[in-house]
Amino acid sequence: MSGFELKLKAAPAERLDLSGLTPSALAGMTAGDVAKIGIGTSKAHVTVGDVFTVAGAAGDTLRISGGSDRFDFVGAKLDAGTLVVTEEVGVFAAAQMKGGRLEIGGNVGLGLGAAMKGGVVHVKGSAGDLVGGLRPGEQYGMQGGTIVVDGDIGERAGDRMRRGTIIARGMFGKWAGTRLMGGTLWTTKGFGDEPGLQMRRGTLIAPSVSRMISTFGDGGMHDLTILRILSRDTAQRLGELSPPPLPAKVRKYSGDLSIFGKGELLLTS
Amino acid sequence: MAKEAANINGVSIDDTFAEAFGMTGTAIIITADSAKWAMQSAVTMTGFGTSVIGCGAECGIDRELSPDETPDGRPGVRCLIFSFSPDMVAGQLKNRVGQCVLTSPGSACYNGLEAKDKIKLSTGFRYFGDGWQTAKKLGARRFWRVPVMDGEFIAEDTVGVTTEAVGGGNLLVLGKDRVGLLEVCEDAVAAMAKIDDVITPFPGGIVRSGSKVGSKYKGVIASTNDAFCPTLRGAVKSELSPDTLAVLEIVIDGLTSKSVADAMRAGITSITGGGAAKGVTRITAGNYGGNLGQHHYHLKDLLP
Repeated sequence: MSGFELKLKAAPAERLDLSGLTPSALAGMTAGDVAKIGIGTSKAHVTVGDVFTVAGAAGDTLRISGGSDRFDFVGAKLDAGTLVVTEEVGVFAAAQMKGGRLEIGGNVGLGLGAAMKGGVVHVKGSAGDLVGGLRPGEQYGMQGGTIVVDGDIGERAGDRMRRGTIIARGMFGKWAGTRLMGGTLWTTKGFGDEPGLQMRRGTLIAPSVSRMISTFGDGGMHDLTILRILSRDTAQRLGELSPPPLPAKVRKYSGDLSIFGKGELLLTS
Repeated sequence: MAKEAANINGVSIDDTFAEAFGMTGTAIIITADSAKWAMQSAVTMTGFGTSVIGCGAECGIDRELSPDETPDGRPGVRCLIFSFSPDMVAGQLKNRVGQCVLTSPGSACYNGLEAKDKIKLSTGFRYFGDGWQTAKKLGARRFWRVPVMDGEFIAEDTVGVTTEAVGGGNLLVLGKDRVGLLEVCEDAVAAMAKIDDVITPFPGGIVRSGSKVGSKYKGVIASTNDAFCPTLRGAVKSELSPDTLAVLEIVIDGLTSKSVADAMRAGITSITGGGAAKGVTRITAGNYGGNLGQHHYHLKDLLP
C-alpha cells in the first residue's frame, strides 16, 4: 500500500468538506497539488495545506492522522482504494460511496453511508443517527455495501434502505429500519424501541428488542437456509470484522403488517 | 477398420479420432440437509438428460461437494447441463430446477460456474411463491427465497454459462465378453468422473445403442450404428473383427475442450490398464469424417 498521509495540524476552525480527498481523486497529484485543494465551507477558502501537513505520494491508500467532528463527507463517493481516518469524523461519511474501504478510528456523526452503493466501512467507535439512510434529494437510502460499527448506532438507521448490510456490535437506537425496503440490519447486542416501523421488505437481526411495535406478527421458530448463506458470505467478505455465525434456529416476526408485511425481524436468542 | 495406432497391454487402439461439437454449458450446485438428499435432488434433476436431440439437454453429475465448498455450508452436488444455446439451457434449467429441485425436501440451488455471461436461474419457479417470494442480495449475488412447506427454497438469481463447451467426446470399447466389457467401462467412467467439468450423460455413463446420422426412414434423424452392431456382421460393411461380441460407448461432455481430452485420456488409461484380462480387445472412436464437429480428439494423442 502506498499513498498520501495527511496529519492534522490543529483543530479546524470551521466545518470541512473532505469529499474531494479519496485515492482516486488524488491520483496523479503531487503533495503540493493536494495542499491546494479547497476543503473549507466558508468564505475563508480553507485548503488542505491550511489544516494538514501533506506527505507521501499518490497511491491506493489515503491516511488522515487525527480527527474532528467537523470532518464532514469523509469518503463520500469513495470508489476504490482505502481511506483511513485515525480518529472521529463528522456528518455524512461514506455518503454515496461506491467501492473501496473506509476505516474510521473514532466516532462518526449522522448520515454515515447515506445512499451508499458499495464498498466496506468499518467504524471503531459509535455512529450517529440515520446510518445507511437518505441523502437530501435522494429517493433511496443505502443500496449496497457493508457497514460495520464496533460501538452503538443512533436512531432511524436504514431509513428507506434497499440493499446492503449494516452490522453493529453494540445497540441500534430507536426506530431502526424505518421504511426499510431491503437489505439487512444486524446487531449482536439488540435493537432499541420499535424497529421496523413501516418496513416493506428486508431483514432485522438481533438477540433482543427493547419494545416491539404491535404490527409485527410472531411467526415462531424457523431454520432458515438464507441465514447460513448470510453468515458464510459475511465471514468470507469481512474476515475478522464479521460477527459470529447466526444460530441454526431463530424466532421470526413478520412486518410491518400495517403496510405490506414482507419484512422480517429475527430474534437470535 | 482404422489402422492400429498403438497396442497397450493387449488392447489395440485405432488411429482415429472422436468428433465432437461446440455446445453451451452451465453448472449448478444443489445442496440439502444431507448428502443423501442433495444427491437425490441432483439425480432427479439430471434425469432424462442423455441426448440433446431427444431430451433437450445433456445432463449429469460432475461431483459431490463438501460443506466447505457450498454457499450454505451444507453437503452439495455439482451438476452440469449442456444444450445448443444459452436460451435452450435456460429453458431446461427452468423446468428441471422447478420440477426436481424446488420439490426436493430441504434443497437449495446455486450458481456453479463463474463466467462472464449469465442466464437466469430463478425465472419461473420463483413465482411459485405467489407474491411471498423475496430476494436477498449479498455482494454481487442475489438469492431468491420462496416459501415452501418445509421452510424456504433458496435459489440464486443467475448462473454462469459458457458457449465454449464441448459435447460428444467419445470412446468405443470393443470386447469379446459382454459382462467383462461392461465392468471395464464402469471403471473407465469412474476414472473420468475424477476429472472436473465433465459428465458422461448416458445411463451409468455408458451407451449400448451408438447411432449414425440418418436412417432409411423419412424423418428419423439418427439410427443404429450398424457398422458396430455384432449381429449385423456379415450383413453390412462391419467395423468389427470376428471375435467382437459387444461394443459399448462412453460419451463425454465438458465445459472446456481440455476437460473432455483429459477425461478421454483417463478413460483410455483405465481401459488399457486391465481391460484385456476382461475381454477388451480394441478402443476406437466415433466420427463423421471430420466435417461436422469442430473438435477432433485423436486417440494417439491421448495415450497413457
